[in-house]
Amino acid sequence: MDVLIVEDARDQLHLLSAIVRKLGHKVHQAMDGLEALSILEAEPEIRIVVSDWMMPNMDGIALCESIRNGRFDRYIYFILLTGQTDHDALVRGLSVGADDFLHKPVDYKELEVRLKGGGRVVALEQSLEQKNMELSQALLTVEKDLESAASTQEALLAQPAVINGVGFEWHFQPSKILGGDMFGYHAVDDEHVMFYQLDVAGHGIPSALFSFALNNLLMDADGRTSMLREELSKPPWYRVLAPHEVVAKLNQRFQASADSMLYFTMIYGVVHTPSGRVTMTHAGHPATFWVRPQTGDIQMLADSGVPVGMMPNMSWETREIQLKPGDRLFMYSDGMTECESPGEEQFGEPRLQELLHESRELPMTEMIEQVWKELCAWRGQSSFDDDMTCLVLEYQGGK
Amino acid sequence: MGYSNRQEADKTVVEIDEARLDASQATPFRDYMTDLISQGQRDLVLDLSQVDFMDSSGLGAIVGALKELNGDGSIQLAGPQKSVNDLFDLTCMDKIFTIHSSVNDALSGGIQ
Repeated sequence: MDVLIVEDARDQLHLLSAIVRKLGHKVHQAMDGLEALSILEAEPEIRIVVSDWMMPNMDGIALCESIRNGRFDRYIYFILLTGQTDHDALVRGLSVGADDFLHKPVDYKELEVRLKGGGRVVALEQSLEQKNMELSQALLTVEKDLESAASTQEALLAQPAVINGVGFEWHFQPSKILGGDMFGYHAVDDEHVMFYQLDVAGHGIPSALFSFALNNLLMDADGRTSMLREELSKPPWYRVLAPHEVVAKLNQRFQASADSMLYFTMIYGVVHTPSGRVTMTHAGHPATFWVRPQTGDIQMLADSGVPVGMMPNMSWETREIQLKPGDRLFMYSDGMTECESPGEEQFGEPRLQELLHESRELPMTEMIEQVWKELCAWRGQSSFDDDMTCLVLEYQGGK
Repeated sequence: MGYSNRQEADKTVVEIDEARLDASQATPFRDYMTDLISQGQRDLVLDLSQVDFMDSSGLGAIVGALKELNGDGSIQLAGPQKSVNDLFDLTCMDKIFTIHSSVNDALSGGIQ
């Protein structure tokens, strides 16, 4: 082991050095605290310091203090040399973080056991440092993976668009830990535009990966493989499946195991673009707000339904509504209404409905901005416990 | 805090002494239920009257326990507070569980 001996009396320094060397250690020497510090900086192998108290320039107490203030990234075991009856030195030494004491004149046997004790502590510290380093590295990897998963999630999201006379806008705020919100929309054929929003239960990588897989499946617009259409043997050769049929298909395909319980709530809907007729199914997902700017009316489509993937052989209902040009459907995930203020009060549905009423005549983007601004003010901090998504659809009269 | 159970009217009443049944409680709750089920308890009544918030993870934990019974036994839910009851309504939990307004109702066979 490398031991640094700090002593201003030359004869003492030589005597101590000889003893420590005889005990099998490599000895470094310093005549005062300042010199000791520069040697400790130059020699990272030194893990034990045996230091006198009274010295010029920097005494033993100041040296110990200086070592303990975090300037070294390794633990240095500090043994302070004190007079036989020096009670004050003991108290001050302990208070600045000395590990052990040796009375002068130094007893050979005592020095040996004190150094052994120091060696044990240093070995323990070293193994802790090693574990800590491994943990920090593992954590860094996990954090990087989470970040890249979060950006994958964002890259999967459909861009705001107008599809066959149906406008879509949204806001998505992922939680500090990766969540399982996902949404999308695309044309199923010339007359039908589908939209969906879903929220996989739980947080983290399993929920996020599951939401990616669901997105791939639902965003598949290819007529031959899409699960949103059914092939027929006579013209027009296919039919667009009703929302409750799509939800039931997903439910049969993804049954959660008792252990993972990866299930999801969702809204799935189809707009018949020439007419503005919308069919939609809610599967355990929060209600949709139907905003009608012309009349100032806001209706809650509070349909209930079992979440998807929970139990096999469940059934759902399809609701049909007739949109007029300018009508909007505001869909959101529960992270929004369950968003808690610093006083742990939830934002809640009534507040959201009120906001939508106030902003009903604003363009979609501004409506969303308004809601978002209020939510951030409610939260009072920039990190959120759950994903928050809102998706707004506006019927712009078909194409 | 935590979970306890007692035998009453041939059923196992599980008392949930937690204000929130959420992601942080999902695993301890599931472990507790798994223990009970592996001990051979088959007819379970969950006393939810202390729970004032339940999220999707909490709901998943309850359904997970039902799946673990694999058709051999039952889980009845009793005494949900308003917010929990709203969640049950939204997710149609009455299609999966029998829900009672109180443990007494569950034990005497009454339905909410």
